[in-house]
Amino acid sequence: MKAFTLGRYVPYNSWIHRLDPRLKILATILLMVCVFFNFPTWSMRYLMGGLLFAVISILVACTKISFRDVIGSLRHLWFMVIFLLIIYVLVPNGNHTLPEAWNLNGWVVYWDSFAEAGRILLRLVMMIELTLVLTASTKPLDLTYALEWYLTPLKVFHFPAAEVAMIISIALRFIPTLLEDTQRVMKAQSSRGVDFEHGSLWKRLMGVTSLVIPLFVSSFVRSEELANAMECRGYDPQAKRTRYHVLHFHWLDLLALVLSSALLAGYITVSVMNLDFFAMLGWAAL
Amino acid sequence: MPIIFRDVSFSYNVKSPLEHLALSHLNFEIPTGSFLAIVGRTGCGKSTMVQQINALLHPTQGEVDVDGFINSSDRKKRTKNVKDLRRRVGLVFQFPEYQLFEETVLKDVAFGPKNFGMKKEEAEQAAKEALAKVGLDESFYERSPFELSGGEKRRVAIAGVLAYHPDYLIVDEPTAGLDPKGAFEMMDLFASIHQAGTTLILVTHDMNLVLRYCDRVLVFDHGELVANDTPQSFFQSDMDRYSLETPALYRFLQEMKAKGLDIDSSSIEDLDTLADAIVKARASK
Repeated sequence: MKAFTLGRYVPYNSWIHRLDPRLKILATILLMVCVFFNFPTWSMRYLMGGLLFAVISILVACTKISFRDVIGSLRHLWFMVIFLLIIYVLVPNGNHTLPEAWNLNGWVVYWDSFAEAGRILLRLVMMIELTLVLTASTKPLDLTYALEWYLTPLKVFHFPAAEVAMIISIALRFIPTLLEDTQRVMKAQSSRGVDFEHGSLWKRLMGVTSLVIPLFVSSFVRSEELANAMECRGYDPQAKRTRYHVLHFHWLDLLALVLSSALLAGYITVSVMNLDFFAMLGWAAL
Repeated sequence: MPIIFRDVSFSYNVKSPLEHLALSHLNFEIPTGSFLAIVGRTGCGKSTMVQQINALLHPTQGEVDVDGFINSSDRKKRTKNVKDLRRRVGLVFQFPEYQLFEETVLKDVAFGPKNFGMKKEEAEQAAKEALAKVGLDESFYERSPFELSGGEKRRVAIAGVLAYHPDYLIVDEPTAGLDPKGAFEMMDLFASIHQAGTTLILVTHDMNLVLRYCDRVLVFDHGELVANDTPQSFFQSDMDRYSLETPALYRFLQEMKAKGLDIDSSSIEDLDTLADAIVKARASK
């Protein structure tokens, strides 16, 4: 069950937790755009990437996600790294700027391959950390509210924004319930002698069946009960809705919006104008 | 051999902001052959405790010893063969009807025995015996478990555990959601299983059942063991603070005393002894 801890909301009360969820989604997107800018030289690419990595790491620290969780979520990346390295080393590199790494009987590999693999790894790490910050600091329900707010303009085209938001929030609300059910059924079947981890493929398949069927049954029962309960309380999808938690935009949100936009603007400028700080300082570019 | 808890503590979500101590420093013994009740308010750690016996949860401190099978906080000390332990300790969860999955009742009941290494014919034979025990006849064998009524489903699920003849049977609120008659039938079933030599551990909220069937009661409050007593003496102690309901018998006794009848309550165990005590009290008046 450990795998499901990734992306879980962690109830702290940091300033990031208190930010408006609408703003957090927007700021996350702005920062994600920053991750994908390209720069003219390797030193610039790593400098700008490193800067952004530092900013994101500060955000991670502010969210108070434990270091263990971050490492845990990056744990499976090693496979990706090896895959990337193989691809980049095997595929010939046309416009290289770095020296040769080795030359085995005409098979030339430039350091560019490793630099490229490293850059992609850095990007992946940054993307994962950003999503981690968003999901760890925002309650799933708040995320849905924010999503609904972004979808509201589509109402002009008769897009059912409220219904979609309701579907998403119900789905999110049932994730923990389903996990609980899974664990309960797993425990019940393990005490009947099912071994989910060891044994032959057939045995394990049988074990999974004994888990999946009760889960299906209970989810159908649950959804029917929920539908009935909603109807009993007079739920009407077309009705105009108000809400208990009204989202307010505070000065802190404004500050965060300004800062993230400024960061994006800075990255756009540097990238578009092909600025090279190292050349400006008179250092040799790589 | 008994089940022994040695200084067992357990926390959920260790090392996270959601950490929650569910059991704290439990020390007790469950003797073989007893019919034990585990009571306490909702969320006091009853269900967590019984899962330690079955090694579904591992203690965060201390160890549980079941016939030499050790479930310890220390990985190295744990007995490797959990399956053998689970064959000996049958655990019937709350609302066990949700664990049914096979096409037919017979197959579902035979699922457990087959997992524990019985051959198909043996398992089916064991399943048939178990179904007979819970009062379901041959007409149920080929029916789908999903088309049964709630009470029948529960019986099938319980048969699924009985079928592999566990030495210890733990039942977590088996009477929840059953009507009074159904509840007593269910309890009579467990009483007959106990008579046949199985150690029974019953988790329940119904104190009347505890008084009527059990010979020992463990009381939990906020993850701690606060009483380990016979039902008769526990129900006459100051039990209101654990928000448990006094059995009807003792409520009646208390009211009689309040009305001024001087009853010697030490010998009262059931309706008959209560009647005897009242007769005696009135005679001496």
